[in-house]
Amino acid sequence: MLPTRLLRSSTINANEIAHFSRLSAEWWNERGEFSFLHKMNPVRMQFIREKLIETAYDEQPEEKVNASKVRILEGLDILDVGCGGGLLSESLARLGARTTGIDASESNLAIAQHHASLDSRLSTNLTYKHAPAESLLSQSKRYDVVCSMEVLEHVDHPAMFLKTCAELLKPSGHLFLSTISRTPLSYFLTIFMAEKVLRQVADGTHTFSKYINPSELLEFFQTYPPSTAPGNTLLPWITRLYDGEPTRKEAEVRGLIYNPLSASWILAPRGAWGAAECNYIFWVRKPALDAMSS
Amino acid sequence: MFTSRLLSKRSINSARRFISTSHEDFDVVIVGGGPAGLALASALGAKQQLESSVKIALVEAGDLSQVQNWSFSSGTFSNRVVSLTNASQAFLKDTGAWDHVEQERTTPIDEMQVWDGISDARITFSASELGVQQGMARLTETLNLQRGLLRHLQSIPAVQIVDKSKVQSITVDETPGSWPLVHLDTGRALKARLLVGADGLNSPVRSFAKIPTYGWSYDTQAIVCTMEHPPKGPFLGPNTTAYQRFLPTGPIAFLPISPTASSLVWSTRPTLATALKACEPSVLGCMINAAFRLPDVSIRYLHDRILEAHKAGKPITDEEIKAEIHWREQSHSIDWTSAYSSVSANTTSSLGVPPSDAEMMPPIVTSIQPGTIASFPLRYNHTETYIGEGQGSRTVLVGDAAHTIHPLAGQGLNLGLGDVECLSSCIQDAVLRGGDIGSYTALLPYTQERYLENHKIMSACDKLHKLYSTSFGPLVQLRSVGLEVLNELDSIKAAIMMSAGSVSREDRPLSYSSDARAAFFDMAAKGVENIGSAAHVAGIVRGGLANLAVTALQNLATAAASSQQEQQRKDTR
Ligand SMILES: Cc1cc2nc3c(=O)[nH]c(=O)nc-3n(C[C@H](O)[C@H](O)[C@H](O)COP(=O)(O)OP(=O)(O)OC[C@H]3O[C@@H](n4cnc5c(N)ncnc54)[C@H](O)[C@@H]3O)c2cc1C
Repeated sequence: MLPTRLLRSSTINANEIAHFSRLSAEWWNERGEFSFLHKMNPVRMQFIREKLIETAYDEQPEEKVNASKVRILEGLDILDVGCGGGLLSESLARLGARTTGIDASESNLAIAQHHASLDSRLSTNLTYKHAPAESLLSQSKRYDVVCSMEVLEHVDHPAMFLKTCAELLKPSGHLFLSTISRTPLSYFLTIFMAEKVLRQVADGTHTFSKYINPSELLEFFQTYPPSTAPGNTLLPWITRLYDGEPTRKEAEVRGLIYNPLSASWILAPRGAWGAAECNYIFWVRKPALDAMSS
Repeated sequence: MFTSRLLSKRSINSARRFISTSHEDFDVVIVGGGPAGLALASALGAKQQLESSVKIALVEAGDLSQVQNWSFSSGTFSNRVVSLTNASQAFLKDTGAWDHVEQERTTPIDEMQVWDGISDARITFSASELGVQQGMARLTETLNLQRGLLRHLQSIPAVQIVDKSKVQSITVDETPGSWPLVHLDTGRALKARLLVGADGLNSPVRSFAKIPTYGWSYDTQAIVCTMEHPPKGPFLGPNTTAYQRFLPTGPIAFLPISPTASSLVWSTRPTLATALKACEPSVLGCMINAAFRLPDVSIRYLHDRILEAHKAGKPITDEEIKAEIHWREQSHSIDWTSAYSSVSANTTSSLGVPPSDAEMMPPIVTSIQPGTIASFPLRYNHTETYIGEGQGSRTVLVGDAAHTIHPLAGQGLNLGLGDVECLSSCIQDAVLRGGDIGSYTALLPYTQERYLENHKIMSACDKLHKLYSTSFGPLVQLRSVGLEVLNELDSIKAAIMMSAGSVSREDRPLSYSSDARAAFFDMAAKGVENIGSAAHVAGIVRGGLANLAVTALQNLATAAASSQQEQQRKDTR
């Protein structure tokens, strides 16, 4: 469905459009409740960009990689799971990816579609679908990149969710997740300060027990796909850790740190101590087809 | 549900839509083809990777082909001249535009002499002292720069130039996030993802975005013209020294542009500017020579004479003013061989050994190039922010649209070019991360980086102007102490030169935003502030003046010294 179709569609009346555009004003109000997400978006995109360039350099002759190219995601199919108002999806589409944003909330999607319709450049390669990720498994379409930002801490069955994302990837595909660690610091910053004291985020937005630590994600992909599965000859996505750290080509954890002085997020350097104590972004790669254990 | 007001507004909008039947979409619409707007277009256009992702239009009311084909015979110069700091030049070199600026029509400034009109306390800045080769700054005609930028733009297909087109109105749909639509008087309408106001002091983009601005008029006009004078001769070296004298009525500056021509920027009372412009040009020439040389009492006397004659409807003649100046020189016992004499001396010949004090004074003006005398009102103006919000979203201001300052430090356009450099790299960063370059998030780093930096320099210039535009005794005394102490302190000089941006980023590999540079700005601004506030206090409490001044300057000195050490430590790392 093309975003502009929403506005033209006769089944949706003017009142609804007005309603969506008001809601959209909130999602896209860069200084409102979602301002943190808006500010985080460039940093998440920076990581995605850098990681894909890094893998390109690993796999192609240097002269074939054009790292300064804007449309670095051209030719890739990307799925944005839990796209919300479309903050990340729009950015992915601008870098050239054939982007599909999915969300469980219909009103979020209407907002995303409405907002995308304001930018004529997005009409060719950005699509939104109202669908839970699981429902895509029955289709044959698989993706080069699956992103799910600030979603994991909200789902009820994280293991199921991770498995779904993993299965939606093509071999050699990239999975990007950003979420929050379960640490005293994260409780303090994301629940105590943000919800209770500063009230920047609506009360009840986060549930501390649902937070997932980087080590838990690493552990998950060390045993994924489970070797007990019948006929499984595949290697786990993460084959080894050194001092608790994965190798650069298999997975990576990077802290996202908010700097209140400049009111911006910083992508912490690789292996920065304590950087992933609160918000972090996680990348893992599905092994190539030929990467079978003998 | 709609009130009648709303309805009528709607019909106006739809009528407008009817006139401009269709619109064109652009990623960036720059309004204003002044130096700031052109520099932005050329900087963005020069970023090759942006070419297919960022479509740019530059709108200008005037005819830019006239600027592009502008030519002056050699030896004659336009009256609008700017001094470009090394940082500004480095930026223009980076983008490739500097290659198109005709170098023969520019002059480096190797030395600056600045002195007080009342006490004659003087500071000298020189490039060699600081170890920079290419001068502290470079003087160029604004038209030479604009023409260079336009020539550079010729090779950049991503930029569409829309000149002879005045912005008539700017409208936007009520839907949040909509793109503003720029209506031109030619009937064209351009829709902008990002609308840049590079449209000068009375910025229509700023009014559209409802960005508040505050400021004041200085009750001062800047007289400009191109002055001719004999070459300095073998004893005095090339004409690469800029001179500025701070008179109580405002500073007068002599800016070299060729061996035998220099540009004037004389800030003075509007009534005097009007009277001087009404006289024959040679009267202005005589008054310029006198304004650099005679004691303040005599200058005030001459001003009164000119104003009286003007009021009486008989502008003072060349002969009359020469007679007055001659008499003044004699009554001050200025020897005719001295550089301080302008009328009594034989000015036509530059041969022979110059007087021993010749270096203290600019060459004697012998004539004014025809048609170059003009004057501009001076204002201080700074907007509250550089990015629009709400209905004014997707707008950003650069250059004089965002800020105008007193020209006494020659910083106006340099601040504008700093804006342009920063904004173009913000845009690039946002594009590479898939951002929407019209969004607040993409533009925020631009205001964060530029606002404070501009503010510091602007308030320093404003305070300097206020500090000097007085003949109140204690203040003059304080000033003279200040300047003389300054002369002793190399570190402070370096700091002030740094604040004038005379060191390019190549000489000192620091970015615009780097902490060390910011520290220097800070310190230079504080230094001026200290003198300024000491002077302010002096107005109230007359006792203990000297103490105050000494303390202020000591603080300044220690700040400068420690900051310099810090800098050296960083450099050696
Ligand atoms: C006497 C004097 C001396 C100076 N000396 C120095 C110096 O030594 N060094 C220095 O750095 N700076 C100096 N300055 C300051 C410098 O000249 C300005 O900062 C600079 O020219 C500003 O450039 P700009 O491009 O921002 O604005 P402008 O040059 O004002 O350009 C604005 C443009 O927008 C266009 N425009 C406006 N409205 C519309 C509309 N509705 N539709 C279409 N187009 C429109 C105008 O036609 C104009 O071309 C001096 C200024 C003065 C007055």
